[in-house]
Amino acid sequence: MVPGLWIMTARTFALNLLLLGLATCRPHRSLADDKNSGFPRAETFYLGGRQWGEPSTFNPLGTPGWPISTMNLLYETLLMYNSLTGQMQPLLAESYAVHDDSVEVTLNPAARWNDGKPVSAWDVTFTFELGKKHKSLNIAPIWQYLVAVRAYGEDGREAAQPGLGIQYPRRVVFQLNPEKRNPLVVLDALQAQIIVPRHVIEPLLVERGNDLDEFKKLKFEQGAVSSGPYRLFSSSSEKIAVVRDDGYWGNQAYHGGKRPAARYIVHPLYKSNDAFSVALRQGRLDISTTFVPRIWLKAKKGVRSWLDQEPYFLSSSIPMLLVNHKRAPLMDVHLRRAMAFAINYKDIRELAVSGYSEPLRPGIILPFGLERSFYSEEDAHKYGTWFDPERAKAELRAAGYSSLFGPDGELLETRARDGKRLPTLYVKSPTGWTDWESIVRIAVKSMRAVGIDARERFVDTSSFWNALYEGDFDLIMHTPSTQPSPSKPWSRFEALLTTRDFAPLGQRMYKNIGRFNDPHAPGYLPRIDELLSQIPTLTDDAGRLAAYRELNVLFMQQQPDLPLVYRPDTFYEFSVKHWSNLPSAANPYLPPLIPGDRLGTNMLWAIEPVTH
Amino acid sequence: MLENHPTISHVVGRAGWYLLTFLVAITINFFLPRLGDANPVDTIMAKVSEGLDATSARAKEEAYLKEFDLVQVDASGKVKRDAQGKPVRTSLGSQFINYLGMCVRGDLGGSILQHPKRVSEIIKTALPWTLALQLPTIVFGWLLGNLLGALAAYKRGVFDTLMYPLALLASAIPAFCFGMLLVYVLGIRLEWFPAVGGYDDGLTPEVSWAFFQSASYYYVLPFLSVFLIVVGGQAIGMRSMCIYELGTDYVKYAKLLGIKEHKILFYMFRNAMLPQLTGLALALGTMVGGALITEMIFSYPGLGMAVLTAIQGNDYPLISGCTLLITVCVLLANFSVDVLVGFLDPRVRAARQAGK
Repeated sequence: MVPGLWIMTARTFALNLLLLGLATCRPHRSLADDKNSGFPRAETFYLGGRQWGEPSTFNPLGTPGWPISTMNLLYETLLMYNSLTGQMQPLLAESYAVHDDSVEVTLNPAARWNDGKPVSAWDVTFTFELGKKHKSLNIAPIWQYLVAVRAYGEDGREAAQPGLGIQYPRRVVFQLNPEKRNPLVVLDALQAQIIVPRHVIEPLLVERGNDLDEFKKLKFEQGAVSSGPYRLFSSSSEKIAVVRDDGYWGNQAYHGGKRPAARYIVHPLYKSNDAFSVALRQGRLDISTTFVPRIWLKAKKGVRSWLDQEPYFLSSSIPMLLVNHKRAPLMDVHLRRAMAFAINYKDIRELAVSGYSEPLRPGIILPFGLERSFYSEEDAHKYGTWFDPERAKAELRAAGYSSLFGPDGELLETRARDGKRLPTLYVKSPTGWTDWESIVRIAVKSMRAVGIDARERFVDTSSFWNALYEGDFDLIMHTPSTQPSPSKPWSRFEALLTTRDFAPLGQRMYKNIGRFNDPHAPGYLPRIDELLSQIPTLTDDAGRLAAYRELNVLFMQQQPDLPLVYRPDTFYEFSVKHWSNLPSAANPYLPPLIPGDRLGTNMLWAIEPVTH
Repeated sequence: MLENHPTISHVVGRAGWYLLTFLVAITINFFLPRLGDANPVDTIMAKVSEGLDATSARAKEEAYLKEFDLVQVDASGKVKRDAQGKPVRTSLGSQFINYLGMCVRGDLGGSILQHPKRVSEIIKTALPWTLALQLPTIVFGWLLGNLLGALAAYKRGVFDTLMYPLALLASAIPAFCFGMLLVYVLGIRLEWFPAVGGYDDGLTPEVSWAFFQSASYYYVLPFLSVFLIVVGGQAIGMRSMCIYELGTDYVKYAKLLGIKEHKILFYMFRNAMLPQLTGLALALGTMVGGALITEMIFSYPGLGMAVLTAIQGNDYPLISGCTLLITVCVLLANFSVDVLVGFLDPRVRAARQAGK
């Protein structure tokens, strides 16, 4: 039938023969370690949870659904953001500066591709220009904030093209769009976008007539030119392995000549969260970024988290219920505030997420970590909402709602001021996402208890996404703008409140999904958009504090959406069986990021094998 | 012409029916996953759309829709859009004709979620895992189960009293339950066997003693989790078949004639075997469908997992490819049973001879 299938059966047969003799003896542990073709345990760092299936491509411009190909073990970003200190740390760029009309970076003179060529400003301009040409690339959106990315030589003159006699330029200037001046998103891009080698990618693209789809068919499995400390070693449906590049330029430039401690980094591809948990317990994994319930029970097996006690992890994002402002009666602020007062956040934190969250505070600025400096407890107290069923009922009464309860205390229906029955409000969440399911159940139960007719509706994952972006929901679970980045908390506000690209229900919106604050409708609050465009340009702390406070107060007063709990977004659990000196709250030399995820890679130079 | 060759006409007749079944099956396989309103591109977009603005998100979505041939494209290569600005989907009919053409050429198409991988590549890597897990369990389980069943029926007494309830118990336990129990007790609590994976993470598959040892050691739990259940089920079936045969006239007659015991056993076994053989062939045919639960518990990257992820993400070509493979294998197994039974079963043979 399919020619390939025949070859396969032969191989299958061989494998079966191998497996047929069911030897029940337990192999010697050390045997595997002594083998040349295997990965010696003392030189291998096992990480898990980043990848769930076999990577389909290692093309640096390919489908970003497979994060390992974009991990900075292979390719590198210009800068790395430290979410503990708020500082940008150097990588390909040794320094950067934010000016009024531009952001400027200077590359490290030592930076090299693994074919020996220097990483130059041309590679940077080429990478960013790709986004200008190909709108489907992830780097494309940055171009609404930029007018040009230019390379400059040592002499201060622009070096547009490689040519005879021109040294490799190291200075790149990102010219900001004066209409939409926003250095924050540019900084976000500088620490998120991997730089690709122009001298390799450009000819390949040109050969294919600049057809990106054709180019994406290249899989870059072998001999790829990259700048990072590791190279791809092997990849199968069971695991992905990378091997250390001993000639990595950064060893000298940033680590005093030291090499990363692990020669191999292996990511096994397990099929469930449980498998990663078990492997971690058994010391087969050294670090995993998967959800491990009741982590405190695993401590005696050598499994650790960032903190030894509640909340165990550093939270960075806020799962919430988005409210559809285009569906009656949800445009009523009293109803939204009543919901926010009704929900039992403590139950959500303790029962749905194993207590891995700080207690929820009003607004959408995190009251801990770096964002704490913008948080005002005074405002929260004055304008915010928290679990208080009596206040919830009071809000409902103030807006003229009445609720009818049955003899057993079960809510029968909610009526509006005009006596009409309110439609049941359905809360959508993807089926099978168990933590979200329990969050939604608790929220629905609390809302019904005060007299709001809400029900859960768990839907198939793919129709969930469609419903989300097209606005086909009453209330829906979502975590906006998750990753820690230099633009927080601005980007969280932007993701929830911006009215740019406002679209009617049925068309897609990727930000402000609840369609709050319609600029063409009465009651539009222009102040919110003003603040959103102002904050990125503010440089003084006092001004920023005032702006953030004002924006957060507007959020609390309007309660456009219902934040529910704090969750870690970048986090890990680790085992102390084979490697020591991993970053944790007691030893916070790096933020909680696994190796390969931006700054987390730097732990590879600090960890040490445990000698048994 | 075929009237003089009853066997050939039997085979040809059956083949015709199977061809028809096959056509109906692939039609259903094609349309069923596509009937819902979900769309694989939504799943991809959900993963990649964070931070995108409306224009780039739209460009990206269009690029995917075009790539997977899900939308109509005008002469200049632009995606056609309807009055509301929604892309016009390629009609299911033309997709189906396209699909049939590819089937004929032996091309299963490209996966959507694992783009740019081909479906045949994915099946090729997943199938060995499924076969390695299933083939030995089914074959050995079938052999041992039938042996035990026949013995129990013939010997009766203490052996049967012990074996029968144990076999009932084994066949009644749901596979996932038993697998998890094994993992929990032998893998996690006692740590006698590894709980997940197919071989040591520190090894790569190769023909070597170390790999063989590691793979066998890792194979114990998954093997047991299915094997015992197969043994139980087969033993019960065989036991009742044999008890039935024991009561038949030919056995009584043979006993009266004083034919040796092992010879009677052989006759009996041959007759009781027929339905069991059919069962074996069917089990071998359906095994490519994968033992999803076992694969999940032990993190085996087999076909069951491939189908599951494909269905979750509406990866149409991969769903169709896997179901096509399963259909072909099941039909082939059924067909060979039909043909084999024609040769093996004296009754069927006799009936044909009589009809001649």
